[in-house]
Amino acid sequence: MNKKSIKTNTYKVRLAVDIGGTFTDGLAVLTPGGRIWVAKTLTTPRDPGEAVTTVMVDLLRQISAVRTDALPEVTEVVHGTTLVTNTLIERKGAKTGLVVTKGTRDVLSIGREIRYELYDLNLEIPKPLVPVELRLEVDERVDVEGHVVTPLSAAELARLTGEVGRLGVEAVAVCLLHAYVNDVHEKQIAAAIKKRFPGLAVSVSSGIAREIREYERMSTTAANAYVQPQVADYLDRLDSRVHKLAPSAPLRIMVSSGGFTSGKAAAETPILLLESGPAGGVLSALNTARNAGIDQILAFDMGGTTAKACVAVGGEPLIAHSFECARVSRFARGSGLPILMPSIDLIEIGAGGGSIAHVNDLGLLNVGPESAGADPGPACYGQGGTGATVTDADLVLGYLNADNFLGGEMKLRKDLALAALQKLATRLKLTPTEVAWGICNIVNENMASAARIHIAEKGHDPREFAMVATGGAGPVHVVEVARKLQIPRVLATIAAGAGSCLGLLAAPARVDRAWSSPTLVKDIDWGLVAKVYAGLRADAEDELKSAGAGAVRLQWWMGVEMRYAGQGHNVSVNLSWRTIDPGMAAALLKEFERCYKQLYGHLVPNAAPQAVTWRLTGRSVVKNHKFVWGDTRVSARPVMRGKREIWLPLKRRYAPVPVYDRYSLKPGTRINGPVILEERESTLVVPVAADVRVLPDYTVSITIKEF
Amino acid sequence: MKKTKLDPITLEIQWKRLVSMVDEASAAFVRTSFSVLVREANDFAVVLTDSQGRSIAQSVLSIPSFIGTLPATVKHFLDKFPAKTLKPGDLMITNDPWMGTGHIHDVNVAMPIFHKGKIIAFAAVVSHMPDIGGRIRNAGIRDIYEEGLQIPRLKLIEAGRPVQAVLEMIGQNVRVPEQTLGDIWAQVAACKMLEERLQPLLHDTDLDALGAEIRRRSEAAMRKAIRTVPDGVYHAQTQHDGFEEPILINCTVTVKGERLSIDYTGSSQQVPRAVNVVPIYTFAYSAFAVKALLCPDVPNNEGSFMPISTSAPLGSIFNPRYPAASGGRGMIGHMMVPAIMMALADVLPERAIAEGSSNSSITVTGEHRGRPYAAVNFMNAGQGATVHRDGFTMLSFPSNLSNTPIEVLEQMAPVRVIERAIRRGSGGLGRYRGGDGLHFEVEVVADTPMMASMIMTRFRTAPQGIFGGEPGRVGALRLNGKTIDPAEHWVLKKGDRVVMETAGGGGYGKPV
Repeated sequence: MNKKSIKTNTYKVRLAVDIGGTFTDGLAVLTPGGRIWVAKTLTTPRDPGEAVTTVMVDLLRQISAVRTDALPEVTEVVHGTTLVTNTLIERKGAKTGLVVTKGTRDVLSIGREIRYELYDLNLEIPKPLVPVELRLEVDERVDVEGHVVTPLSAAELARLTGEVGRLGVEAVAVCLLHAYVNDVHEKQIAAAIKKRFPGLAVSVSSGIAREIREYERMSTTAANAYVQPQVADYLDRLDSRVHKLAPSAPLRIMVSSGGFTSGKAAAETPILLLESGPAGGVLSALNTARNAGIDQILAFDMGGTTAKACVAVGGEPLIAHSFECARVSRFARGSGLPILMPSIDLIEIGAGGGSIAHVNDLGLLNVGPESAGADPGPACYGQGGTGATVTDADLVLGYLNADNFLGGEMKLRKDLALAALQKLATRLKLTPTEVAWGICNIVNENMASAARIHIAEKGHDPREFAMVATGGAGPVHVVEVARKLQIPRVLATIAAGAGSCLGLLAAPARVDRAWSSPTLVKDIDWGLVAKVYAGLRADAEDELKSAGAGAVRLQWWMGVEMRYAGQGHNVSVNLSWRTIDPGMAAALLKEFERCYKQLYGHLVPNAAPQAVTWRLTGRSVVKNHKFVWGDTRVSARPVMRGKREIWLPLKRRYAPVPVYDRYSLKPGTRINGPVILEERESTLVVPVAADVRVLPDYTVSITIKEF
Repeated sequence: MKKTKLDPITLEIQWKRLVSMVDEASAAFVRTSFSVLVREANDFAVVLTDSQGRSIAQSVLSIPSFIGTLPATVKHFLDKFPAKTLKPGDLMITNDPWMGTGHIHDVNVAMPIFHKGKIIAFAAVVSHMPDIGGRIRNAGIRDIYEEGLQIPRLKLIEAGRPVQAVLEMIGQNVRVPEQTLGDIWAQVAACKMLEERLQPLLHDTDLDALGAEIRRRSEAAMRKAIRTVPDGVYHAQTQHDGFEEPILINCTVTVKGERLSIDYTGSSQQVPRAVNVVPIYTFAYSAFAVKALLCPDVPNNEGSFMPISTSAPLGSIFNPRYPAASGGRGMIGHMMVPAIMMALADVLPERAIAEGSSNSSITVTGEHRGRPYAAVNFMNAGQGATVHRDGFTMLSFPSNLSNTPIEVLEQMAPVRVIERAIRRGSGGLGRYRGGDGLHFEVEVVADTPMMASMIMTRFRTAPQGIFGGEPGRVGALRLNGKTIDPAEHWVLKKGDRVVMETAGGGGYGKPV
């Protein structure tokens, strides 16, 4: 920067940086105004912070080129990363020890004893993060009500700390039976270890996931310990990198539940970061929908290997309180490590642009879950791939433009796509076009089916939702998936290619706490509940303050996982913050019955409602963020790039349809489908009659007219 | 477009949609169920059949016990209630082991689905009930009357009206009526949901044609898979611990071209214990073994299993006469799977698996602090090694039942778990070793006596190795240090300690 031209004025900028598997995406937004800039660079796995710096420098350069009148002041940097996920998948975490109650050393190996695939005689079982020789038993016992049955003696504690020292580990997890009710021994152990080995990272189950079920809690605590040294180190270095470029900007870290927290809290509980990228995508979809006045959405993200879907009701994404990471059989439920952490409730299926079509044992056409990945990629990439993929089908059907893929950087080979399709066509005695449409239709059906079951599990009807598409392939397929689900309204966000960055900037500060204490509602000790909540809230307030949310108004919710005693699945009941006393029982029961009825249509006679886990969520107020596309190519009237033959599914033939550059269409533009809108990283395909409008923030809204 | 109506793409799409509806209904069912076995072990199935009870789509999560059972049950219903007498809003129920799934603990319901005044399909659900009355499920039970309430083929709902007499009769005969009836209502809700989802599709989906084509293709795939097995007659014999004497499982697999038949002649006679296996279950687990070995991806429908048949002499353990008890049918039934695999080991050495052990369990009931309780914990065992790998340690096979977390078990019943550990060294030696079993120790903390019922598997007869692999170690059951008989019911008092150990799996190949 030229020091001579002293600029005294400053303008405020917020930055988001998301590290993905292949690319690191960045986005800057000018406040006020909401104008955005995007940047993209290859991820630098050896030192991920390097790509963060590159992207930040690029963004500041872009803005400075436009705003020559003043200096940028970065007010915050929000960060999402796949670092935690990758560390777990690649098993590159710290050498970790685990301290458990006597008699439970093998729990982490035993797991739940079930097969995730019934008919596969050679399935792969995920290995525990902590091998058995690094697990230590301690002679202590707390019973189901929290009474100490076997006290932890000083001698036993001394023996244990000695053993810990001999393990030579970099991190320790502590998970004792019933510590969710009484954490006295866990605390003593953690304190003793920290005192003796100040440098050792210690994760305690009652602090990480205060929930019943020892295997799942142990798995979560072990995973946290396993990634902690690395993540703490990474965040520390990242903080100084960010500080160099943006001295006054606090670093905020996106967490799986759809909010951000402070770097400090993230370093203590790094397992919170697991699903931060996908969470950002959902928040981006939600923000887009809110600006369009919609609060019931099915967020739909489709990329190269997978598609993800998430339901948001009343403007809030559904939250799951447990999920799996590092699945060994990628899409099989039960093949991963269970993690008890609040996370935006996503389903992920093996359906992406690279998904390969094949003929199965029954002679039927199937698509995925095997994917051609980025290398060799779909046949049309011309990198040696020979299997027909979804992208090959999309190209042959005219949905993709061979000359405009990634803005024309990569030329697609239609001849190779056709050759790949021809092989299947010969086997199936169909034409290549029929096979191409079959692949597209089947992958859409797979996604619609998965979404349908997911929505059913939540007790909703798909027709209540609008779909919001993100990801490179999302806009290509969204209209057809919506038609299968009988969803008439579809939105396509801006900057779908900037990953989840828009969501990072739209996220509120958020903190979640939990406490399991399975009790019949009529037996609840309200004094105890009030005391626990007071503690949880004080703790949560501290964290929110450290995340920078102290100044703004905070919102608080109490969540109670409830069921009829004897049932295994819980119903989440949410209440706004209130005085906790016996008078609360009536409100709790009323809300439980309302939720139960909504999910199941009926109540269970003569059954006793039970509260299992109490939750607290605190967050800053969610605002509608208006983002404005920074590109200035907008012309007064829509300018057609030309016409292209595309496959019209309802007419079952090819026909020419208009093609537009998406960002040449100014807000307020109305066009009729069928139509194609192209942008650099994606293509919005509307292959049926529809009312297509450009909203003020350049979001494209589609109302489907043909089903 | 008539020509392409059932091309491999249209068929795939229409069929996937039906499967997804069945799965949607099963998701709704699992959520509302009270049964631990349904929730934790997927001990249920939801099936859509055509108008004649032939399966079209089955829920993906269902366990192998339900292979082919619900379509057969629907046909049994139709024998008693002919199609032309059924009305919209009718729903039928039974738990007859011979017509259902082999034991009375599974209740089956089926509902006709009408389109333009005609039955075009049936929605059917079966699931393991939280309780069905009678004695607590135990191998020592001598006949079906001891086992609990028998529900013959009845209408539970008639033209939309619940039949109160049937409901009251069921409610009066079970320990937790709100839970058992709650699960039956959940079954009803699942049938109705399936009907509601199906209706909009009926204008462009010909269910009969679709079902026929899926069955035809499934059958062709299975025939092709069987062709890869050399023709021949293959034997294997294994034995179950038994009671007064061991129970023999003698299996003869005959492969001839595209057909595979399994005969159990030479197995023991039926026994006055709750371990008899009715033919429908004999078939289900035999079919599972063949499918897992030869063709894991074919769907569960009659087409897939048309080329497979099973047989056993009437009065034998695999084809017992009424009123044989069958509550613990899996104890013998699960052993058909390793028997079939052992029989085919020589001709399919690449896929052969040494013997392992199926699950054991402990069920406890009683009253503590004035409140009744009931809880069950399943214990899995070591599995056999293969040419590719060691056997799995403590994995549920061939059923799929998870353990109950210690913290949940202690919440449900007044017990304290002293140890849940891998029983190291219990797997048989071999080039690849058998998987290890479980060591489980629990202490009673109840203030009044506790009824306990233990089902133990492989505690006298060890799982055998193959190709020179050694057998795994047998299981064990001890009360306060003394070996006890699992065929008895036990009354436990505060401070008693029960140790249960499950068997290790057999090894593969000579140890090196």
